Amino acid sequence: MIPIELVLGFAALLFCTGLYGMMTTNKALVALMCVELMLNSANINFIAFAAYNVFADATIGNIFVLMSIAIAAAEVAVGLALILNVYKIKGTSSTDDLTTMRW
Amino acid sequence: MFMEYAWLIPILPIACFVIVGLFGKKLHEGGGFVAIAGAAIACIFSVLVAYDFITNGVDGIFGAPFVTEMKWLVFPGSDFVINFGVYIDGLTCIMLIFSSFISTMIFVYSIGYMGDQGEKKPRYYGEVSLFLTGMLGLIVSSNFLQMFIFWEIMGLCSYLLIGFWSFDHPEAKQKSSAAKKAFLVTRAGDVCLMAGLFIVLYLFGSLDYANIFNAVAIEAIAATNPELLTVAGLLIFGGVIGKSAQFPLHDWLPDAMAGPTTVSALIHAATMVKAGVYLTARAMPLYVFNSVNGEAVLLFIGIIGGFTAIYAASMALNNFNIKKVLAYSTLSQLGYMILALGAGGFLMAHGYNTGEEHLVALGVLGYMAGIFHMLNHAFFKGLLFLCSGAVIHATGTEDMKQMGGLFSKLKVTAVTMLLGSLSIAGFPLFSGFWSKDLVLEAALHAGTHGMTGFTVLFVMGMITAFMTAFYMFRMWFMTFVGDYRGTEHVHHESKIMSAPLVVLSIFAVISGFVIFIGFGNLIADMLQESMGFFWIEIESGMDIAISIFTNIWTYVSIVLALSGIGIAYLMYMKKSVDPAKFNKNGESAYYKLLTKRYYFPELYDQISWKLGYGIARIVDAFDRNVIDGTVNGLSGAVIGGGDVVSQMETGHVRDYATFVIAGVVVLILVFAFIFIGGI
Repeated sequence: MIPIELVLGFAALLFCTGLYGMMTTNKALVALMCVELMLNSANINFIAFAAYNVFADATIGNIFVLMSIAIAAAEVAVGLALILNVYKIKGTSSTDDLTTMRW
Repeated sequence: MFMEYAWLIPILPIACFVIVGLFGKKLHEGGGFVAIAGAAIACIFSVLVAYDFITNGVDGIFGAPFVTEMKWLVFPGSDFVINFGVYIDGLTCIMLIFSSFISTMIFVYSIGYMGDQGEKKPRYYGEVSLFLTGMLGLIVSSNFLQMFIFWEIMGLCSYLLIGFWSFDHPEAKQKSSAAKKAFLVTRAGDVCLMAGLFIVLYLFGSLDYANIFNAVAIEAIAATNPELLTVAGLLIFGGVIGKSAQFPLHDWLPDAMAGPTTVSALIHAATMVKAGVYLTARAMPLYVFNSVNGEAVLLFIGIIGGFTAIYAASMALNNFNIKKVLAYSTLSQLGYMILALGAGGFLMAHGYNTGEEHLVALGVLGYMAGIFHMLNHAFFKGLLFLCSGAVIHATGTEDMKQMGGLFSKLKVTAVTMLLGSLSIAGFPLFSGFWSKDLVLEAALHAGTHGMTGFTVLFVMGMITAFMTAFYMFRMWFMTFVGDYRGTEHVHHESKIMSAPLVVLSIFAVISGFVIFIGFGNLIADMLQESMGFFWIEIESGMDIAISIFTNIWTYVSIVLALSGIGIAYLMYMKKSVDPAKFNKNGESAYYKLLTKRYYFPELYDQISWKLGYGIARIVDAFDRNVIDGTVNGLSGAVIGGGDVVSQMETGHVRDYATFVIAGVVVLILVFAFIFIGGI
């Protein structure tokens, strides 16, 4: 069996990738994709801990992941709709230009 | 049977106030006849109440006070109650009758005098009605708090009426400043009075006259807490100094001449300044039964009165304003009343403390003299003011240099004013003669039987009598004899203005004779039954008259009065003595001092400028710099801080992500430090 450290390390790498992309990109779509990456790294952690758990029933972790994926789907739907609309109105989806709501 | 309804007396004028205030514009003469009716009915009612009180007594006891009260403020959990009620005794009866009667006369006269005021009439009649309410309510009050409320109503009305012409008038500014002065100066006294009432409430646990005027209670407090009782007495007298315009708060009264002459008559004769004298007379037990300091306080009261008498009379000597001369003479006569009450009270207190009963009797005589003089003064001063109003109405000026030779044109006014002047000058058998001699006799007795200070006051009173005769006749001669010096056409006198003059002049001449019809007994019974005085014996009116005419000083004062009249005659009628010789054509230092009113107005101004304005400026600076500075500084810091911090909000999604991550990292480090580092 693969040691849990490897799985967790992979999840952490995935999270950091998403985070790095989030902090550096100016494209709204890329930012959304990075959010998905981070969310999925968290899902991997759930799965990992559920699979390696020897003391209790593993189903709870799996159910939680299913729930999380459903929410992520909904979130993406909303996020994409927003970006599309912004693009229609402003002609751009670059986050550097979308600053009208600040001070 | 009338006394039960005495509470109606102050209700009547206030009803007139409401009617005139609301519907005055639609009423005939701006509601003047409503005001007259209210005052007249109040007067008739006062006479009926007094008749009922004097003839029937209360429960068969003559002189005992008639008290009806209703609970006004009840404090749950304590037995302290503030009442609202009616208290009738001899003093109440006397005051009620003359206040309402003279007010009625003044209101009748106002129909003529204020006839040209047009739209302002409803305001005038409304305010004078309220003024009368204040006075009558004050007189019938059954406790100090109720009295204080009416006292303040009068203060308000005096302000409104003195400033009656403070707009739509060529001299509006000066008028309104006179009104403000009257209000603020009397306020200084009122604050004292209120403080005094607080102490009385603390000491007695009640403000009801019926509980306070009790010799046993006062003596018990004098034994345990003499200092506070003394302070209370002095503070109450402080209120009197303000209201009755005694030195050093006297200066508002001459300026109060800015109001219509009828208002001056009302303030000087029937209401306002008489309230102070009334309060002194009413609060007398607080002084007399204060066995520790009472005599000293009463000496102080006498000194204030005696000094005011001569001090104010001196300023009347060279004044050329007909109303101001009368104003100073009021101050001077009020000084007499206060002096009489001080001297009489002193004799009573001294008699109690030493056990000499005949001194108490003399004291009662002095006390009576004060009230007697107040009654007489009300009649002749009301008359004199209305006469001066008639003169002003006819000539259009208040300056006596512009008058002269008016006798042929204003016959009724001239004759009635002569009668009033003779009364105030103390011409034998006129009203002022009786009371003034009793006042001076009281001071003399107090001097010989106890305190020599009163002898000095007696001498000052004598000099004042001379000065009074001189300045009154100076005024009369300057106004009515010689050649007319003015330029304005002299109007004729109207009947509605002459009639009150004639009525008042009759009373001014004969009111002195009331001592022959039981005036003294009324006062003595009141002192005995209402206020708990003992050892009272009063001489009959005839005995008083005999004692007056067998007293050598009476003749001295008559001679002084006659010589005052004579000198005025020589100076201003025959012109054989030139007044310019005495005052070096108005250049002598004393003459200038008098025209400057002893620099008292300036002193008031300086106090209010230097002290009042200075404090106001300091407070203003504190307000602007410290309080505003704190508030502005705080808001500035918040706004500025907000501006600076808001710059952090770039609006870039990735920056926010960075902040969030940085925050999470910091949190993780902190938790790691706490939990892992702790282990």
